[in-house]
Amino acid sequence: MSYIAFSETHKAFGRRHILQGVGISLREGQCCLLTGQNGAGKSTLQRIIAGLERPDSAQVDVGDGYHSWKAQRKFLQANCVYLHQQPFMFDGSVAENLAYALPRTLTKAERLHRIQVALTWAGLEDIAECWAKTISGGERQRVALARAWLRSPRYMLLDEPSNNLDEDAKRRTLTLLESLKVQGIAMVVASHEAEQYRCIADEQLDLAQGRISARTGVGSTLPPSNIIPINKFQQA
Amino acid sequence: MEHLSNATIQAFYLLFSGDRDLWRIIGISCRVSSLALMIAVLPAIMLAFILSYARFIGRRFVISLFNTLLSVPAVVIGLTFYLLLSRQGPLGDLHLLFTQSAMVIGQIALCFPMLVAMGHAAFQSADKRAWETARTLGASPLRALLTIMREIRFGLLAALLAAFGRVISEIGASMMLGGNILYYTRNIPTAIALETSKGEFAQGIALGLVLLLFAFVLNTSLHYFQGKGQVIA
Repeated sequence: MSYIAFSETHKAFGRRHILQGVGISLREGQCCLLTGQNGAGKSTLQRIIAGLERPDSAQVDVGDGYHSWKAQRKFLQANCVYLHQQPFMFDGSVAENLAYALPRTLTKAERLHRIQVALTWAGLEDIAECWAKTISGGERQRVALARAWLRSPRYMLLDEPSNNLDEDAKRRTLTLLESLKVQGIAMVVASHEAEQYRCIADEQLDLAQGRISARTGVGSTLPPSNIIPINKFQQA
Repeated sequence: MEHLSNATIQAFYLLFSGDRDLWRIIGISCRVSSLALMIAVLPAIMLAFILSYARFIGRRFVISLFNTLLSVPAVVIGLTFYLLLSRQGPLGDLHLLFTQSAMVIGQIALCFPMLVAMGHAAFQSADKRAWETARTLGASPLRALLTIMREIRFGLLAALLAAFGRVISEIGASMMLGGNILYYTRNIPTAIALETSKGEFAQGIALGLVLLLFAFVLNTSLHYFQGKGQVIA
């Protein structure tokens, strides 16, 4: 079972210390709910985990013992996907956006097949040819999830995935997150709306003043036996 | 007034009759300026990208330097390279003075700061999430860079057109470094200056019209592409 563990994570922007020795671990299929006020450092921590933001210092264990973040950066970038609060859509259609996440070595037929599977998975068949920059917030979130899913990551870092979405869009996003979890993808979901994610979260971490101030076992309602390898699911 | 109208009519005649001298001058202008732009564009865009995305000591100074270089007159560039390339200069052994190569060098020096400054502005205007999204989706740094360039292609194209506009119409560097040699280093601006000083207005007007046409096409293209890249509501 794969896992990553961060220890003694420090990050400051100027004189402002955002993270002061934060530790977090994630294992396959685990969903960690990250809560905290605005500016608490939720996004920064997620970006550090995803290998996008350089911490001032951090020790990272990806199964081979603790090493510096710099030494593990390639692993983090290869295995984690970070989703912005407002996902960025590349210039092009929804299908082209999905294609971006696929390895360029795939044949055209294989690419088309995988894109079609992702479109079906996220319920995006009707807007496959729409210009991605003009779709609604809820659709954008689902495209971002499908695009990330096509990358076959082990870990997903989601920053306020249901922020500013209507109830229907929130429900559909949550359904996709449940699906990701049962496929064994570990997730860190940063959100103000903790209640909404309790059903999928195994653990809730509250980030305050640069530290994890509370660690609560939440207990997801999803049974662990549902975990199936992601590759098998994508081939379906 | 009659003299002016006659010169204008003759200018149109020269243009549309395919006057060999006139079109060779236009050809030299296009060749030298295009070559200068082609050589400068890739390193300039790379530098613009580095200045936008990398953090290093002296970055702000380099940005200010290129913004300052934007306003350096062409004749000062010409003088600088004349001193470098002249027989007594440090690069005199290369024997490049009064050649098209010297003109290309001068024009590279002219368009490089413009490409860097405008390219930097274009990269700065890019959505920061674009780079992160590309990288987190597994793109290599090169592919992520190409993705960003695609996102800001209208801004980069504007930089390219503006730079071409500057070099095709400059006279100072071309005159000093090229020497205005017929069929070799005489380009549109140096030919206009020479013909006007001789009182031969027809060729000057014809070449002026060509420059105007270039300016019109470049500006229309710029306007069209900038319109394409408009902000989405």
